[in-house]
Order: sequence, then structure tokens, then C-alpha cells
Amino acid sequence: MKAKKNIFQKHPAIGFILFGLLLALIPTLAEMGILKNGYVTTIGGTLIYAIAALGLNILLGWSGLISLGTAGFMGLAAYMSAYLTVDLNLPFEVSFFLAVLIPTLIGILVGLVSLKIEGLYLAIATLAVAEVLRKTFEELGKYTGGFSGKSADYPTLFGLFELDRTTTFYFIIFVLVIIMILTSNMMNGRLGRALNAMRGSEAAAQAMGVNLLTHRLIAFALATIFASVAGVLYVHFVKFSYPSTWSLAMSLNFLAIIIIGGLRSIYGTVLGAFIVYAVPDMFLKQIPFFEDLSYVLNGVLIILVIIFYPNGLISIGYDIRKLFRKLTKGGAKNE
Amino acid sequence: MSKMENHVLTVDGLSIAFGGLKAVDDLSFDIRDKEIYGLIGPNGAGKTTVFNCITQFYKPDKGDLRFKGHGDQIVDLTTKPVHDIIRQGLVRTFQNVELIRELSIIDNVLIGGHIDFEANTLSQALKLPKARKEEKKYREEAEKILEDLGILDRKDMLVGGQPYGILKKVEFARTLMARPKLIILDEPAAGLNDSETIDLARLIKRIRDQYDCSILLVEHDMRLVMDVCDRICAINFGKLLAIGTPKEIQANKAVQAAYLGVE
Repeated sequence: MKAKKNIFQKHPAIGFILFGLLLALIPTLAEMGILKNGYVTTIGGTLIYAIAALGLNILLGWSGLISLGTAGFMGLAAYMSAYLTVDLNLPFEVSFFLAVLIPTLIGILVGLVSLKIEGLYLAIATLAVAEVLRKTFEELGKYTGGFSGKSADYPTLFGLFELDRTTTFYFIIFVLVIIMILTSNMMNGRLGRALNAMRGSEAAAQAMGVNLLTHRLIAFALATIFASVAGVLYVHFVKFSYPSTWSLAMSLNFLAIIIIGGLRSIYGTVLGAFIVYAVPDMFLKQIPFFEDLSYVLNGVLIILVIIFYPNGLISIGYDIRKLFRKLTKGGAKNE
Repeated sequence: MSKMENHVLTVDGLSIAFGGLKAVDDLSFDIRDKEIYGLIGPNGAGKTTVFNCITQFYKPDKGDLRFKGHGDQIVDLTTKPVHDIIRQGLVRTFQNVELIRELSIIDNVLIGGHIDFEANTLSQALKLPKARKEEKKYREEAEKILEDLGILDRKDMLVGGQPYGILKKVEFARTLMARPKLIILDEPAAGLNDSETIDLARLIKRIRDQYDCSILLVEHDMRLVMDVCDRICAINFGKLLAIGTPKEIQANKAVQAAYLGVE
């Protein structure tokens, strides 16, 4: 009995690229007036959050390690890239690289700490790191603009192509699709299995030859790389960074994204980001009388999702397929 | 070390104490090539501690653990970190079956091949041809093992929700994936019913013959031990009681006293 695999199961990359192409239609739809112009900004931001949330999913979903510091690392990368491109006039690519590298090194240090502490204690430790970073953003006014924030421009690629809002949006999709493909390749292979093993049982993982130290460091490094990439994209898309953005609330939102969307699900992470960030802006605010309550409604929505889809909203797809099969089967019987 | 010629594992003077309690006290035994060896003892005898010392989950206070690994190289296990033990050709199972519920059966088996993969993370992330070929090769190997154990038809099912007997087999398959020289089974009969235990005995013998390895059985279930083991080592309070064939052990007065009490 060999289950037939369709092309998307065999080559998940094709699905991710198609998904990216679909997203790339959004600015055109907005120009045609089918979608509101502001949606491009909302969705672009949502996709950026999805990138950081994917990193957290590797950490929590696959590896079973928690972090409440995602926002801090994302903010550090955002400020660094703004400073490096605006104040030091470095090319975008160079600042991108540095703004990912430095937070990642700090993330790896946290990974080292994670060998000694676990669970709630690790959550508190990562939270402390993020809060220290946020305080630094406030106090180091010379580099960060303090409370008044720091601005940046749309990226200029290779010193030639000055991007605008629409092309930066395309750039975000490009980065997201690449990160989705890399994540899928890594998590469905040896690394993903090892991280899964580590989450399941540390003793069993070690008995199977999984080095806990290296794999925890890899998990933290990947999570920080993704958060930093998201931070860089954020500051060059939103064009502004305030210390208050990179708060615990944001880190908790990332947690909400992956739990709502689905732990260990790549599409689920993107879906979760839409629920948490895009739905209140795009839909809930449109409901008359409830404009101001959109985030309250969102909270209710999140609770409903968790009650009915504890494995993440992504599993709704399987339910629909099952229902569909039932219906078609029923139809066949009637004939 | 000519003595090791036909021994896969030599335990010599093994001791470990927790606080003041000597969990294992000057224990020595050896396991021959292709032997099914039983380690028995009443509750609290220190069986699991011996086991954890061999696999380096505990670092013994004293004693030699010499293992004839791949390429007949003699290694001192005490010098190896716990995650390197499998690399020497020594693989263990767990009393309560430690599998990953959220993964398919075949992915669980592939974890046993973790150490064999050579392609680095980057080439896996980019799915370079080398990484892809490697993944395919080990996947086929895992399928072969599952076929051997008669559970190939379930390979894409999730581990969560499978019956206990199947889980035991999956864990077995995972150890075989590492091409072991010695498999240590931690109470494999725990939680199995009578007919499953008979199947297990057959399976253990078959694996020894087919995969050319030795097996150390840490077990409670006397019937299984008496049925499959070539030799048995009985311990109590961390000390050696007797070593011998199943018949000799059954007849041994000290073993009887430890299990049944003295009149």
C-alpha cells in the first residue's frame, strides 16, 4: 500500500512559490481598487511578523524551547539596520547582514544559557534579555533616537534599485518564500527530526546521538536569524521604529500566532499572523459599532480558535477536506 | 586485551553510589559476540542503574567499561559523552517507549540514523543533491527494516495512537537503524500481554541472527528471560548474585532467596 503523493507533498517548494505569487497580486488588486490601498501596508507587516513567528515556531514548536524575547531581537535588528543605512550610509545588503549577525550572536548566548534552565525559567530569562534591549533602545538616544524613534528608508538593492512601498512588499514576499522553503527543508530532514526528538525526550534524543548543546544553539540561532530578518524588513517597510513597539506584548503576539496557526506548521504560522495582525485591521474594524473593539473581538476569536482547533487553525483544512469527501461519497451512493 | 576477542562488552568492577547508597557495588560481567544476555534482579536491585552506567547517562564512580565497537575497535565507554555512545555501536531502548508521537513511524525510525547523516545543515536547508540522496538512501533503509518487522504498511501513520506492541517494534526499528553491535533493551516485556511477549521473544532471537548483534536484556519478566537468554547475570542490592545459563540461575539458591525470600 503506497499512498500517492501529489506534487505539493513531493516538492513543497512549489507550493510556497505559488503562495508567494498569489500574495504578489495584492498590490495590483489594490491599484485596481478591489482592495483598499492601506491593505498593502497591513499585509506587508503581517508577512514580516510571520517571518519572526516562523523562527519562534522552530524554537517552540519543533524544539520545545520557549522564548519571550522575539520582539527584543527583532527590535535590535531594526534599530541596527536603520542606524547602519541612515547614519553610516552603509549599503542595504551590508547592514542587512550585520543587523542579522549581531542579534544572532546574542541569541546563541541565550541558547547556551538554555542548557541550564528550562520552561518558565527560560521564558523569564529571555524576557529579561528583551527588556534590557528595549531599555537600551530608549536610553541610547544617540543611536536610536530614544523615545522619539528612529526612521529609515525603503531599501536600495545593490546600490541601484531604490524600492518603493510596492516593490518593498515584493521583496518581503521574496524573503518570506525563501524562509518558508528553507524551514520546510530543514524541518522535514535530519535537523527537524533531531529537534523533534529533543522536544519529545531529551534522554531518548541523546541515546540516538543528538547532541543537545549543538541542537539548542541551532534552534536559538535560527529563531534569532528569522526575528532579525523580520526586524530589518520591518524598519525598511514601516520606515519607523519606536522603543514601545518592541515590548512583551509583541513577543506574546508571536506566541499567539504560532499557537493559533499551528505549532510545527509553516502555512499555519502565516495564517496565525493574519488572524492576529491583519484580521482586526482589515475586517473587525469594518463591523459597525465595533470599530474600537476590534482587538477585543480578536481576543474572543483567538479563544474560540484555541477551544475548537487546539492543534491550530491550519487543521481546519483537513476538516474541510474530510467534509468534502463525505459529501462527494454521499453523492456517489445516491446515484 | 586479547581477552576481549569474543566479547562485545566487558564490565569490570563497576561501582556507583548515590549519597551513601551503593546502587551498584563492584559488579563485573561480560557479554559475548552474538549473545543474548539477561540482567535480572528483584525490584531495586540496581538493574537500571547498571544500564544507565553502561550508556553513560550516569558516570560510574569506579570500574571499567570496555566495548568492542565498529571495526572491532576497543573503546573505553566512560570517556565518551552520552550522545556519542550510539556512534560506538551501542544502542538502547526505553522502558516506557520514548518515541515522538507527532511524527510518522518512518520519521521516528530515521531518528535512529541521525549519526549517519553526513550532509551539513546548510546543504539540507538548500536540499543539495548530496543531502537529497542521503535522505533517500536512509529512508529506503528504514523501509527495509520496517518491512522486516512487518509494519511497513503503517510507515506513514503517526506514532501517536498506535498500539503498544507496534510502538515497541518501532523503537526496535529505530535501534536497528543505527546498525548496532549491542542493543540494550530496558524491560521490553513491560506492558505486553502473553502472546505479545511470545512474539517479542521470537523477534529478539530473529534480530540477533539477522542483524548480527548482541543483545542485553534488562528484564523483570522471568519467562522471557529464561526463554531467550543464553546467559544471565542476577544481581541484588547492586551486588552480583550469580552468572550462568537460565537453568543454572533457576537452580541457584542465592537467586531463589533474593526473589522469594529465605525461609
